[in-house]
Amino acid sequence: MPRLIRWRDGQAVWAEDPFTDVDDDQPVPQGDVIVSLARFQREGRTLLGEGRNLGVRLAADEAPESLIIDLARLAVVCLAFPKFRDGRAYSAARVLRERMAYTGELRAVGDVVLDLAVPVLRCGFDTVVPADSSSPDQWTAAARRFRHVYQRSADGREPAFAQRAKGEMSEA
Amino acid sequence: MKALTANRLTDGEVVFWTGADWSERFIQAAVFEESDVAEGAEAHAKSQFTLVVDPYLIEVAPVGGGLAPVSYRERVRAMGPTNKPDHGKQAVGGDDIAVLAGAHGAARSKGRVDLIRRK
Amino acid sequence: MYRYDDIDREMLADRVAEFRDQCGRRLAGEMTEDQFKPLRLMNGLYLQLHAYMLRIAIPYGSLNAAQLRKLAQVSRTYDRGYGHFTTRTNLQLHWIKLKDAPDILDELAGVGLHAIQTSGNCIRNLTADPHAGATADEVDDPRIWAEAIRQWSTFHPEFSFLPRKFKIAVTASPKDRGAIRVYDIGLRLHRDDEGALNFEVLVGGGLGRLPHLGPVIRERLPVRHLLSYLQAILRVYNRHGRRDNIHKARIKILVASLGATEFARQVEEEWSLTDKEAVDLPATELARIRAGFAPAGFETLPPLSATFESARAADPALARFARRNVLPHKHPGYALVNISLKSIGETPGDCSAEQMDVVADLAERYSMNEARVTYEQNLLLPHVKLDDVPAVHAALVDAGLATANIALISDIIACPGLDYCALANARAIPIAQDIARRFADPALAETVGELKIKISGCINACGHHHVGHIGILGVDKKGEEFYQLSLGGSAEDDAALGQVLGPALSADRVAPAIDQLVEVYLRERREGERFIDTFRRAGLAPFKEAVYAQAH
Ligand code: SF4
Repeated sequence: MPRLIRWRDGQAVWAEDPFTDVDDDQPVPQGDVIVSLARFQREGRTLLGEGRNLGVRLAADEAPESLIIDLARLAVVCLAFPKFRDGRAYSAARVLRERMAYTGELRAVGDVVLDLAVPVLRCGFDTVVPADSSSPDQWTAAARRFRHVYQRSADGREPAFAQRAKGEMSEA
Repeated sequence: MKALTANRLTDGEVVFWTGADWSERFIQAAVFEESDVAEGAEAHAKSQFTLVVDPYLIEVAPVGGGLAPVSYRERVRAMGPTNKPDHGKQAVGGDDIAVLAGAHGAARSKGRVDLIRRK
Repeated sequence: MYRYDDIDREMLADRVAEFRDQCGRRLAGEMTEDQFKPLRLMNGLYLQLHAYMLRIAIPYGSLNAAQLRKLAQVSRTYDRGYGHFTTRTNLQLHWIKLKDAPDILDELAGVGLHAIQTSGNCIRNLTADPHAGATADEVDDPRIWAEAIRQWSTFHPEFSFLPRKFKIAVTASPKDRGAIRVYDIGLRLHRDDEGALNFEVLVGGGLGRLPHLGPVIRERLPVRHLLSYLQAILRVYNRHGRRDNIHKARIKILVASLGATEFARQVEEEWSLTDKEAVDLPATELARIRAGFAPAGFETLPPLSATFESARAADPALARFARRNVLPHKHPGYALVNISLKSIGETPGDCSAEQMDVVADLAERYSMNEARVTYEQNLLLPHVKLDDVPAVHAALVDAGLATANIALISDIIACPGLDYCALANARAIPIAQDIARRFADPALAETVGELKIKISGCINACGHHHVGHIGILGVDKKGEEFYQLSLGGSAEDDAALGQVLGPALSADRVAPAIDQLVEVYLRERREGERFIDTFRRAGLAPFKEAVYAQAH
């Protein structure tokens, strides 16, 4: 089974990926599968009715809002990074987590490299398929590098202004 | 005719390929008559990514007293900023700088035509 | 001024540590240039023509003496003893070595300065009215809000990879000194009829290849919702801005293609779904930031200073300086003192380390420890007692910083152009120098009056040429430098984009053409008209004729 990096209890670890990523022109095999939004819209009900775990992958220009009806029944949503510099998936991830209250696996796929660790994890992704040879330890270290954050996001970290309100940091 | 230039990784200094090494002076640049030889050198330079950044080939042409890069931009790189004569390679001076400076003048007068047409 | 607390300091320290690690990996050959380039750019480090260039952010243009001295020391130790102030109120050092960059950032962090988000497709360094806190016409100190935005936008996880770079300007006066109509987002503070503070929100202005003036998308935004509203704008842009064509990726293109009304509707819809309390700063935090900008220790002084009045009566140079560079302050007996970085024949915006030290001393001694950088590439001491203006002037004269030409024809904006910039088509600096020399006589320059010349070395428009009364754009014609002139632009309340005068001119024709344009103005002007007013009344034709009639 292919591997991916999973974020669990503040730590990145290797994990097995039980899902098969199915192209639109391939027949759907047995077991847990990930399909495109178009296929999901055509065959989703049937696939969900077959007692398997189902995931959907969204292209960068596809809106997470299109998943609103069946979101609770999805096991994984994959958001695409067609290029390192294409940041649309960050907005989609936050909308899924914060607005649509999605709690299942949120996976970053495509040109996702170690140097994106902070925004990827802060926007609510919990699994990644790294496009470089980075290891879970490196992802853990990158995520811990910054002791503070200035804004709330989908990771639930407490922003600087909230820490200040509690008087945790002193004016020096 | 072509020469090969880049910026040095550690400090960004403009450098030219001499055929064996990188030099800070345009006058030491190897001049390629054959484009496949030039492209071979460029490919080799691209593999030296711990030494230089963004190597590329430039057009060079004869001017009074020697050779100079054809484009204005490349002459500025080979000399230094025109607003600060005491900064960049021109601060050191030398015959080769004088040739480049002459080409600058040429580009403003009739002589520029030769330089421009070659591009 | 806002003072960093431990959190702010640790943010910078963590960032420097990260960049030191990345530089180390690059120099050791563990990373290619393709992998490293976006990382160094995120830390303000560019590779220019002759060396690396470090772009240091000066948030909303405010500096204290310690920061200015640090910039002086860094430019002496790691560069060639000078720096270049830009239209984005950044300081650029043009001769930096990669191996020194982490140490430089470490030193800067010690005084709360950095180069974060001075490059890349993210929210860039904020600009604000350079007269903030000192001008009588402001309804609030815009820097409070600029600082709130600075923190919110720093390492924003959702908005670090936007379609394109993103620039925000804040002003708090009816008179626009921040050029807010040419920003991706322009924010103007105003009070409504009940006295409540609101923002007028403009989106989609910008210069560059397809210049636009930003339309207003919301006239009244209650200030406490600033950040959630910005998040809504940025989210609409991040999701829907074009990414297929770099020339169409700025938000101005999205706003123009949707229309301001439809764009505003999408923002409002997004905002209506936003959990505002999670994003907007609580009142306590706003109060904490506000306290950092509280006016400190203004004395009650008579509106006129006998010392100043007699000194300027006795010294024509001081009188001229007072006329051109000194502006009234909101507190009686105080003044704003502009420091021109446009002395005749020098590079616009350049400042030597020694000059930075002098300004730092003056700020500390005479201006409540504050100096400002303006988008017109000048410096400013915001809080000088009128009694002290003669002493400040004398010190500026000694440092070569007393040029009395603010807003005059020799106060030219020029980008680094082909002398430094890897993207340039043509040089900008020598053109500015040529023009300034022609108007070196201060009496002549004063006769001509307010005339803003702005020069860019390429279409990226860092020199704001579209909004110059006279704009000059460098273009490349078969490897040679040419310049396209435009007239009638303005970056202020009467913002307008300039109209192209005619075919591009060769370098040696530019300064004579400026002479000809000025002659037409002096001939045609009516009582009280500035160059731009005459242009607006008389149109392009007489100017065009003067420049091109003799061209053949
Ligand atoms: S306008 Fe062009 S030449 Fe000037 S600094 Fe900007 S990118 Fe460089």
